Amino acid sequence: MNTLWIVVLAVVVIYLAYNFYAKQIDKNVIQSDAKKATPAKMYMDGVDFMPTSRNVLYGYHFKSIAAAGPIVGPITAANIWGWAPALAWLLIGVSFIGWVSDYSAIMVAVRNDGNSLSAVSHKLISPRTRPILFTFIFFYLMLVAGAFMGIMSALLAARADVPLGIIMLGVMGFLAGQMLYKWKMDLILVTAIVVVVTLAAMMLGPFRAVNAEGKLDLTQGPVSSAVIAFNNAINKISGDQAVMVVTDPTNADPRIPAPGADGKRPSTAVYNADTGEIKTMPSYLFWALFLLVFSYLAATLPIWRFAQPVNYIGFWVTLLTIGLSALGAVLAPFIKPAIGAFALEPLKTWGFAYEATKAWQPLWPMLFVTIACGSISGWHALIGSIGTARQLEYETDGLPVGGGAMFTENTLALLALVAVSIVGTGGGAGRFAAGVGNLLSVLFGDKFLVFGTALGFGAFMVIVLTVTQLVFRVMRVTLSEWAGDVFPALKNMHVSTVVSMFLTILLVLTGTWVYLWQLFGAANQLMAALSLLIVTVWLREQKKNPSFALWPTLFMYITTLAATLVTARNLYVTIVPRGGSAAAGAWAMIIIAVLLFVTALIIGWDGYKAYQRYGKGAQAKRAPAAADD
Amino acid sequence: MTQEEPKKPEKKSFWQNMKEVLYGMASHDMSRYALRTRASMEHLFILITMGDMIGIPILPPYYSLRLLPYVVPQISTWKRRLLREKDVSDAMF
Repeated sequence: MNTLWIVVLAVVVIYLAYNFYAKQIDKNVIQSDAKKATPAKMYMDGVDFMPTSRNVLYGYHFKSIAAAGPIVGPITAANIWGWAPALAWLLIGVSFIGWVSDYSAIMVAVRNDGNSLSAVSHKLISPRTRPILFTFIFFYLMLVAGAFMGIMSALLAARADVPLGIIMLGVMGFLAGQMLYKWKMDLILVTAIVVVVTLAAMMLGPFRAVNAEGKLDLTQGPVSSAVIAFNNAINKISGDQAVMVVTDPTNADPRIPAPGADGKRPSTAVYNADTGEIKTMPSYLFWALFLLVFSYLAATLPIWRFAQPVNYIGFWVTLLTIGLSALGAVLAPFIKPAIGAFALEPLKTWGFAYEATKAWQPLWPMLFVTIACGSISGWHALIGSIGTARQLEYETDGLPVGGGAMFTENTLALLALVAVSIVGTGGGAGRFAAGVGNLLSVLFGDKFLVFGTALGFGAFMVIVLTVTQLVFRVMRVTLSEWAGDVFPALKNMHVSTVVSMFLTILLVLTGTWVYLWQLFGAANQLMAALSLLIVTVWLREQKKNPSFALWPTLFMYITTLAATLVTARNLYVTIVPRGGSAAAGAWAMIIIAVLLFVTALIIGWDGYKAYQRYGKGAQAKRAPAAADD
Repeated sequence: MTQEEPKKPEKKSFWQNMKEVLYGMASHDMSRYALRTRASMEHLFILITMGDMIGIPILPPYYSLRLLPYVVPQISTWKRRLLREKDVSDAMF
């Protein structure tokens, strides 16, 4: 297997799914009609409701949905089960479920006056669905933030060539906001300055950090050695002792090194291979705190001042890195066949073997929550129904925008899978970065490998960080709205931000990153299942054939409920008995898992009753007529 | 729902399409936020000047009358935005 086959396979599958399935559903079931006035036209207010070109909207929707999920998910899954199951789920999932979720969430909102999914569920399913959905969403966001914080803190503490680029990203974010909005400078000039400086800072990380054998040695470079000295100085605070010690029975924690040629994992400064213990050093906590401060600024400052410019710079860094890597993946089999060949096993395990005291990772249901966003994601449905649906100029734009962006995100996930599969060894983000480095070296030569890898790390961090800062901002708003009446202090944005961050960091410190990731994946997929459920009920109410949404709903609903239980079981069996703070975190995650499970059951039951009701000819309560002239 | 004839989609070159997609990815969000900020300011302005409409004379009638021509074009969108049902998810993105 090599990268070219993945490219060919992806092109064929996406072409067939889009042209022979998605278009048929759009034409025959949803019956999108360019002559129908969309909410963007009916309720145009020049702000939220605004007819927008489908090209612009496609770019906007894709940017809004593309995050760390399509990168981290396939890498983690390929690590656990091998690349073949990951590839199969990515392609089958997006073809029959992924685009359905994105597209239909948008279309349901379009056909319901641009109302959000929660408002539609209130009307179609039951009034209590709305508050339950909000509870669900808050904990879902907490899991997203926790999973992302965990992986970023580990990366910053472990890779001395990464922090400079991220610090510079923050500085350039401030500068870009100042130059654009206060000094009114030209956008192209500002873009050129801040993007070039950020990229240069990212590549400065490994500058001169190459030893005589041509291999990366981070103790040698001026930047990386300074970061290492800084980390060591911080660790001296506790006398080089761990602040806390955790274990990860699945070995998926980003701090655990990949096995060597002999199949054994080597010990590192923070990982003891004999005992399996991972040390949480003060430097890890420092970088976690750095990320919290970064996210705090993004969550509380006016959005133009920091969050938005950081996202803007991040977009260009990611586009350049991912775009060039994709080109490298296409050219690799011709220019460097050795790089283009897959080094990872196609199937490592099915994972069904059960041992009472060990972590259990059966292919079903765990694969389907480990790979979330590249195949299907609830986040997409949320954004699509609120942001994208209100800007759709013609109904017929729904498929190219919603479905098209989902298929494009799928190619991002496939690229991540390609990157990890050609590298073969390494852990988490490291695999992705090393893969990107290899693919970029196809274009720029072997000497670019270390810089390409640094860019891979930088791009990965940027993708994750820009989403995390947004998530904290959304959590802050959600918490204020949700609990502000009961606890008035939460209406203060600083209080709600700090509370959100405190709850999140509690989860991160459990040290069992993979469970956090899988629980996030389960919550994300459950969100998708619930949005598909709303679509199914709406189709039933409209007397349309609901099959194309019903079967994905059932599959995702049952699978993700099962995955939530398996994750809770894994936490209970492998982490709780160890006691200490990790056990407290594990209990917190188990409680969240149970909460998600129960809320999903209630919504599912209400959805089932509504489905039956509309089957007997009931009509949804119509919303009051929109106020107009 | 009102019916209307769709405009014939204008032919765009490949580069024009790419430019729009790039704009959508990079800057559309920023434009929307700028618009949202402007709309909030306008709403505040309308709230002050339209006090007379609901019987609360916030500004002396002389100034209200002077400002009215600037306010009138915004009234319909103002009503739509204020009266539209909102929930938490509207505040999210």
